[in-house]
Amino acid sequence: MARKHLMAAVAALALAAAAGGTASAAGKYIVGVSNTLIGNGWREEMICSIKAEAEASGLVSKVIVANRNGGPSEQIADIRNLISAGANAIIINPSDREALNPIIKQAADKGIVVVAVDQAVSAPEAYVLTNDQVDYAKLGAKWLFDKLGGKGEVVEMRGIDGVPADADRHQGFDEVLKNYPNIHVTSIFTGWALNKTAQATKDLLASGKQIDGVWTSGIDSTVVDAYQTAGKPFVPVVGADNNGFIGQLINLKDKGLTGAAVSNPPAVGGAGLGLALDVLQKKEHPHVVKITPTVWDNTSEAGMDELKKAYNQKLDPFYSVAINVPPYTHYTMEQILACKGP
Amino acid sequence: MTDVSAADSGGLVRFVSRRTRLLGMPALFVACILATALIHPDFGSFDVQSLALGALPLAMAAAAQTIVVISGGIDLSVGSLIAVSNVLAASLMQHASFGASLGIAVLILILGAAQGAINGLTVAISRIPDVVVTLTTGFIWGGVALLILERPGGGAPAAFLNIAAGADVSAWLPNALIVMIVVIAAIWLPIKLSRIGLLLYASGSDPVAAFRSGVDIRVARTLAYTFGGIACAAGGLALTMTTGIGAPLAGTYYTLSSVAAAVIGGVSLAGGRGGMVGPVIAALLLTLIPMDLVFLGIDPNYGQVIQGTLIVVVVMIGGFVTFMQERK
Repeated sequence: MARKHLMAAVAALALAAAAGGTASAAGKYIVGVSNTLIGNGWREEMICSIKAEAEASGLVSKVIVANRNGGPSEQIADIRNLISAGANAIIINPSDREALNPIIKQAADKGIVVVAVDQAVSAPEAYVLTNDQVDYAKLGAKWLFDKLGGKGEVVEMRGIDGVPADADRHQGFDEVLKNYPNIHVTSIFTGWALNKTAQATKDLLASGKQIDGVWTSGIDSTVVDAYQTAGKPFVPVVGADNNGFIGQLINLKDKGLTGAAVSNPPAVGGAGLGLALDVLQKKEHPHVVKITPTVWDNTSEAGMDELKKAYNQKLDPFYSVAINVPPYTHYTMEQILACKGP
Repeated sequence: MTDVSAADSGGLVRFVSRRTRLLGMPALFVACILATALIHPDFGSFDVQSLALGALPLAMAAAAQTIVVISGGIDLSVGSLIAVSNVLAASLMQHASFGASLGIAVLILILGAAQGAINGLTVAISRIPDVVVTLTTGFIWGGVALLILERPGGGAPAAFLNIAAGADVSAWLPNALIVMIVVIAAIWLPIKLSRIGLLLYASGSDPVAAFRSGVDIRVARTLAYTFGGIACAAGGLALTMTTGIGAPLAGTYYTLSSVAAAVIGGVSLAGGRGGMVGPVIAALLLTLIPMDLVFLGIDPNYGQVIQGTLIVVVVMIGGFVTFMQERK
């Protein structure tokens, strides 16, 4: 009796193993995702873009997401688990530049394609696909300083001190600033938090300090809201491709709001998968890809067209609407909103 | 035929029911491993190595917590002590030779003993509740870890990392598992086999009775926390060994997970009861659950719910078994 059960179990195991074997023979890939910041809208959208790209490509049988709040040691364990789970490609948003290198090498030795998105890793085996944060600040700052005619008081609303993305953006901002000797800058840290940004803007407006323009590191619609609440005339504002801010650029243009949205697409996740699938199909790619942001302003006709095309009334104010990263992504708006992988 | 097997199974039931604490954990673990092999047929030696590597620091943390809890206390500074020895190891060993790194490891173990002794002496002398003392020392050492290493970094020589990585004996017996068993045995057996063990169990199960029988409770508590500190330092070294870096915030996971491992492993939070085999297996189990969730591709947002539920269920089964035994 017991023996019969054992035989059945063995047979089931063998069947399951055979099924696993045929799935990979049909050219279907398993994709692993490792992310260590949860409860963050941008990261959620990044993961959705990976699922959407997996769905759109038709090459992926399963997307496995290892997702928890943590640092490098948790991420190393997660990547090990993804290797165990049989991933053919692993997309990581790295928590550290150096710390993951040994495990990335182990994965690469097993023939797994590892793509670091959003932030870089130094492992030579990995592919790195990031938004160019230096350019992000450069493009927005240049638009703002030109808009002000090269002179005036500007507020630089930074993110979190000590975070690579913030450091890179500040570097780009400073590089552009050098060419505009008559622009004066006040820097504050917003921690990329809505409440802190709202408070800081309120304080600035109440102080009576002369402000001719505001550059933000992504918490943008909050600043415009504060101007509206205080009943002060708008000044030019630079923000990101957040849905709410884009809506303001369109709808408040009549009331005198000018501004520009600089793209920082979470779709780097999906783009990372697009790149990984290319590599799995033996297409050559450079190991480091930087995505140059685009600028959409509401003062030019072309920019206004792009803004209107991107705006979606149904989405949250902080949903990034730059959902595609050509030529790496292939999904539709519906697919990323559905957030369903194969 | 049927009679014989009935008698046999009756004997087996008696054998098992008398040793539920001893056999329950390994049985549960074997069941989980089998379940893992079913949902992930490719489960192989690499995965066994991953499991042992992942569980190594938690097993040490569980050992530390177990020693303290058996003596009737609790240690909420486990995570911070692990973080301190982790960042200290990673920053001191970065450019050291293999020999020097072993020396550093010994120094860190001594420091761990000192940290534990501070906990124990404070609890014993001041009579401030152990929860308060270890929570506060936990904050202090957590800050010290950040002072030593502001952000994840550091390193250790490759030979030091290779102690736990790989499998030199057999692909199915990873070095990490050997390190786990040897180190925990080296800490636990001297306690268990000497008078210290008796001291800890006695003061944990009934401090008043123990005191009246001539046990110095203060000595017992200080010893328990000191041995706990050594196990924490070993946990920090294990974390360096398995990740190759120091991370000042990595310890936070281990404080509550060590309590969970001790409880699942059959150690009574009231003190005086439990052994070391259960908590160590529980550490492996707690590492296996997230692995299985990844294999199953379960939405990560459900992962924590499932893990928490499993812990509650296991503890409830343990409590139920104890309840039934006590009713007999």
